[in-house]
Amino acid sequence: MAATGGSGGGDQDEFYLRYYVGHKGKFGHEFLEFEFRPDGKLRYANNSNYKNDTMIRKEVFVSPAVLRECRRIIADSEIMKEDDNNWPPPDRVGRQELEIVMNNEHISFTTSKIGSLVDVQGSQDPEGLRVFYYLVQDLKCFVFSLISLHFKIKPIQS
Amino acid sequence: MAAAVGDVEVVDFEPDEDDLMDEEVGAADADPSPAPAAKLRSTIAGGGSSGLVPRKTKGRGFREEAGPGRGSHLSARGFDSLDSDGGPGPQRSIEGWMLLVSGVHEEAQEDDLHNAFREFGQVKNLHLNLDRRTGFVKGYALIEYENFEEAQTAIATLNGTELLTQRIFVDWAFSKGPVKRRNVRRRSPGAHRSRSPPRRRY
Repeated sequence: MAATGGSGGGDQDEFYLRYYVGHKGKFGHEFLEFEFRPDGKLRYANNSNYKNDTMIRKEVFVSPAVLRECRRIIADSEIMKEDDNNWPPPDRVGRQELEIVMNNEHISFTTSKIGSLVDVQGSQDPEGLRVFYYLVQDLKCFVFSLISLHFKIKPIQS
Repeated sequence: MAAAVGDVEVVDFEPDEDDLMDEEVGAADADPSPAPAAKLRSTIAGGGSSGLVPRKTKGRGFREEAGPGRGSHLSARGFDSLDSDGGPGPQRSIEGWMLLVSGVHEEAQEDDLHNAFREFGQVKNLHLNLDRRTGFVKGYALIEYENFEEAQTAIATLNGTELLTQRIFVDWAFSKGPVKRRNVRRRSPGAHRSRSPPRRRY
């Protein structure tokens, strides 16, 4: 039921999303990670040893409406059509992982950190990497809003 | 009562059926590799073990061996959450009740939403996020009321109505417990759960 009018497809199939960005450096393993599980559990973890050495870990169940909106954002991005074959692989500077299960497709993409659109333009797959780049920002924005509003914390915009 | 616990229901460390990640961590623990919290790839499907139809898979994440830094760190316990009885229904946030508005017009302004929603009570918080590529509204808003009744009335009144020529949908953002799942993998019938009575969620 495309209740949101988007192209998110039905919501009867299993949905899962996980995003990770991080690196290991002089402040230890610093990362941000979140996931939406099929049952609606949203988990968020942020570990930055630089400012405070405690990991922020939050979880909350989101409603089906939120899951649908998440699917809609993913579907509109058309990320599922992309492939990470020609994306810069993770390196010492850091890694990103995006794993999505939706519409009976399962992607698990990895790449390096992307500093800006300049990195996207200079890559071997600028079109695909741009899709990834913007989708990740939109997803982070969505999750940061959900977590910060629910818990009244300020997520670190790493 | 307690006597039965020992033999029939062996040990079940998993608090609930949704701990997909923790299951895999358990498997990873068997790995002699000293690397902590090894890797959860394909957290959800484990390469398609759960699906009725094999999933199409794509991406380097399926091919990589566990490397440094590879892994979900969400498997650890100790996540904070607000108190909840786990039942159905909306979950209160720290300062009030959060709604998700979807179908929001890309040129909507915060004022448009404010004007529509303040009729039901003071809007304590409003996030109208933008599409990072286009700079237009992404299509959703999060709106917070202090009282349950205000939020409930806003949903009842505004869900399915038009805002700037576009139909909006208004619903709770957070839930006290898992959504009902249809059509998903279940445990094998032999896998008895311990302690908790058989909960029926279907």
